[in-house]
Amino acid sequence: MDTKHIRNFCIIAHIDHGKSTLADRMLEVTGSVDKRDMRAQLLDSMDLERERGITIKASAVTVYHVYKGTKYELNLIDTPGHVDFNYEVQKALQACEGALLLVDASQGVEAQTVANAYLAVEADLTVLPVINKVDLPHAQPEVVCEEIENSIGIDSSDASRVSAKSGLGVPELLDRIVEKIPAPTGLPDAPLRCLIFDAVYNEYRGIIVYMRVVDGTIKEREQIHMLGTDKVYEAVELGRFTPEMKRAGVLGPGDVGYFISNIKQLGDVRIGDTMTLYKGPKVKMLPGYRPPMHMVYADFFPTNSGDFESLREGLATLSLSDSSFSFEAVTSEALGFGFRCGFLGLLHMEIVQERLEREHDLDMIQTAPTVTYKIKLKDGTLSEIHSPGQLPNPDQYEEILEPYARVSIMVPAEFIGNVMQIAADHRGTYVRQEHLSPTRVQLLYDIPLAELIYDFFDKLKSSTRGYGTLNYDISEFKPSELVKLRILVNGNEIDALTSIVHKEQAEFRGRSAIKKMRKEIARHLFEIAIQAAVGARIIARETISALRKDVTAKCYGGDITRKRKLLEKQKAGKRRMRQIGNVDIPQKAFLAVLGGDDED
Amino acid sequence: MSATQKPRAAPEAPPTAPRERAPTGTPLYVHLPFCAAKCHYCDFFSVPDKGQDRAANLNAIQREAELYAPRNPRTVFIGGGTPSLLSIAELTEFLDNLERITSFRSSAVEVTAECNPESLDRDKARALLDLGVTRLSIGFQSLHDEVLQLFGRVHSVEQSFAAFESARSAGVTDLNIDLIYAIPGQTPEAWEQDLGRVLALGAEHLSAYNLTFEEETVFHRWLSQGRLAKSPEEVELAHFEVTRRLTQAAGLEAYEISNFARTNRHCRHNVNYWHNGTYLGIGPSAVSKVGATRGGNLKAILPYNRRIEASGDARTWEETPSATERLFETWWLGLRLAEGISASEARERADFSASEDPALAITAGLVADGLIEETDARFRLTARGLPLADYVARRFLAAAP
Repeated sequence: MDTKHIRNFCIIAHIDHGKSTLADRMLEVTGSVDKRDMRAQLLDSMDLERERGITIKASAVTVYHVYKGTKYELNLIDTPGHVDFNYEVQKALQACEGALLLVDASQGVEAQTVANAYLAVEADLTVLPVINKVDLPHAQPEVVCEEIENSIGIDSSDASRVSAKSGLGVPELLDRIVEKIPAPTGLPDAPLRCLIFDAVYNEYRGIIVYMRVVDGTIKEREQIHMLGTDKVYEAVELGRFTPEMKRAGVLGPGDVGYFISNIKQLGDVRIGDTMTLYKGPKVKMLPGYRPPMHMVYADFFPTNSGDFESLREGLATLSLSDSSFSFEAVTSEALGFGFRCGFLGLLHMEIVQERLEREHDLDMIQTAPTVTYKIKLKDGTLSEIHSPGQLPNPDQYEEILEPYARVSIMVPAEFIGNVMQIAADHRGTYVRQEHLSPTRVQLLYDIPLAELIYDFFDKLKSSTRGYGTLNYDISEFKPSELVKLRILVNGNEIDALTSIVHKEQAEFRGRSAIKKMRKEIARHLFEIAIQAAVGARIIARETISALRKDVTAKCYGGDITRKRKLLEKQKAGKRRMRQIGNVDIPQKAFLAVLGGDDED
Repeated sequence: MSATQKPRAAPEAPPTAPRERAPTGTPLYVHLPFCAAKCHYCDFFSVPDKGQDRAANLNAIQREAELYAPRNPRTVFIGGGTPSLLSIAELTEFLDNLERITSFRSSAVEVTAECNPESLDRDKARALLDLGVTRLSIGFQSLHDEVLQLFGRVHSVEQSFAAFESARSAGVTDLNIDLIYAIPGQTPEAWEQDLGRVLALGAEHLSAYNLTFEEETVFHRWLSQGRLAKSPEEVELAHFEVTRRLTQAAGLEAYEISNFARTNRHCRHNVNYWHNGTYLGIGPSAVSKVGATRGGNLKAILPYNRRIEASGDARTWEETPSATERLFETWWLGLRLAEGISASEARERADFSASEDPALAITAGLVADGLIEETDARFRLTARGLPLADYVARRFLAAAP
């Protein structure tokens, strides 16, 4: 198809503002899928996405729309909406000329909306504001338009108004996409350049590469050179997502589709890489993506130490479709061999863990997440540490720096007081506040990232009745009075539970951690002491008394089966356990240094 | 491999496998479900007697006996429910029919009937003896009227003692008394006094149970509502130790965790359960083990009657544990007994034939932990392991495939 009849766009929005629903409706309105085949959130292929109701992986789909008698190819790239997935959003943006900025008509502009809109503006895309859920009783499209103008500075006077749920306004929106979003500019006979913006692994087909043709034309049976990894693969199959994979044989400039070559080497495909013709004219690599910033690190250990290799394979496969996390082998005295993984944020970490367990049937123990610290050594050099265990003794370094985040929080004005309180509790420094509309406020704080990942998200949600949203950018590393908090079980230090905390908080955090552990560890045949220590000083202790009585009084012929089942159920929880010293410690206890649920 | 438990077919459908009468000599359990009132701690299948058609149920149980009960059972246990609730006429008809079907009167070395004080007098005890019963088990449960009320029982302490005397004067020479301890608020000292009074009666057998808050009982609900509190572990342990000390002083052997008997007065029928032996149960809710398969009947009177009438089969579940599962089950059941268990006995009882015995690694670990000890190739729970018998069982179950 001629590039002037192609439009490539994505939808950016805050979580729950109806992005996936709008994508579904577009598929339906353009006749790409039968109404009766319609599953909610058709584009989200992973079970996990559907269960959590959020999109975690950009997906692409081609639909056809007839505008003024001409057929147009619209390539829609669905993007994730959560703060953790900025990197995925960026990849999607690179493959587009335009973006729909979708805002819920009753929720208004939220932190993530702003963050993603800025990304789109930065990427030089044409941004079309779309107000969703306009048919709901609490819809205030005018107020929302005002908020968009005040916060992002995009003219919203003629914003599209739709109901993604009912389909109201969707045909008009499709027309508008054709009218407003620029056509791709590549030429069909220019030297080939394709951008890899995503990839998934399929057991039978190998790696399925999601790509956008920028210049030139790609045909099946051509030898294709991946410039970044310097690998050559034949284009065995080329096609589009309609949404099911449909073979096309040839893809021209502006086309968005897939490339299959039975690639089994996971390292050969890199998101952001440029594909060109092997032995064709030399081309310049397309601008690479900003590398993902790993601000949160956690260690994964196989529950069963024999599963180490399976875990490595699982991580490698997963990193293919999610290039935004990193992993490297580590050893823990307590937990054996495992991997230290870097994530974009907390939700990202949870999703990776769940996908490993679900898609690769791995049973893992995960340690509490930690941030990256920098230490200035006596000789003035800086070194990074990604795990609290790496922190040397205080006499071996000059100072320790921790990452701070510039946090933007959007809340209804009535919650300002609550937000100020939790910011203060998390060592936050007030920067400024801005009124977006008479009832909504944006607050800016500088908060240590460690505090953000400890329990700031949870506390913000609960203290603003779910209305508070936030986005953050890492601003700088600042010196801080930090100490190493160690946890000991019967005198054995559990390296996986070591954390770095502010001096003032050490006692409180230590006490809270061992209280949680006390609840998670079952009684044993002997007494168990759980201690929290800073340096050589024990700052808190909990004791789990020895199990002395555990016996059923009655066990006759009618009781045996039921009794056995009850006992089996009690042992079922054994799976995610690790033995340290001779104490069985369940997975949950390894998360005790995480925040949340403080009871006293 | 795990035990397969499958729901049985609907009433009109034939049973999944044709069942026959249990092999000659198999121990027989009879469940008579009616009680004067439902006790608040009791999770056995029992139904308060409110003028239901007891005859129809007795007929159905009798029909089930005709179909499956073994000839010449070695032991018979008539439980419930409260068998003594039945009139002498009902008991006569039922037990005469059971005799016609099984000839238990000449074959059984022990025939126990469970009785409650409010329905046991001299005449009934005499009649039970005449009908072939050799042993009575009387539910005292507590020596305090206010506790009996809390339990929801319908007799007084005085009636308990009277029932015991009636049984003795009727000529019953094999008597068991049931008691419950670690009742909320009870102290080990108070228990020691009560137990002393009961032991002074000179019963041949005593069953003393730590109070358990079983699911789906009134007590369980009261516990979760905070109306009752479970005794602290150390208090329960003190009760447990008082029980063992006093029974020993009275010349009773602590032959099982909750059971105490004079020489040769163990309940043979129950010992068979702990040997993981076979048995045939009839009546609503009754469980049988024939070969390696266990199965249980419906827990409802009218549906039970209807199913027996329609197809002769009232089973609602069946399971056949694997050889290893049987072996481990045999171990943890056998360890409840003071006589203990040997590895070869366990393999024989479980019909376990593989050359490698997976229990040995587990027993070695338990010996190392001081929970069991080995003397002359027999393993027994130690003083420490005794109150941890369920923990020991879990060690076996955790190793099951």
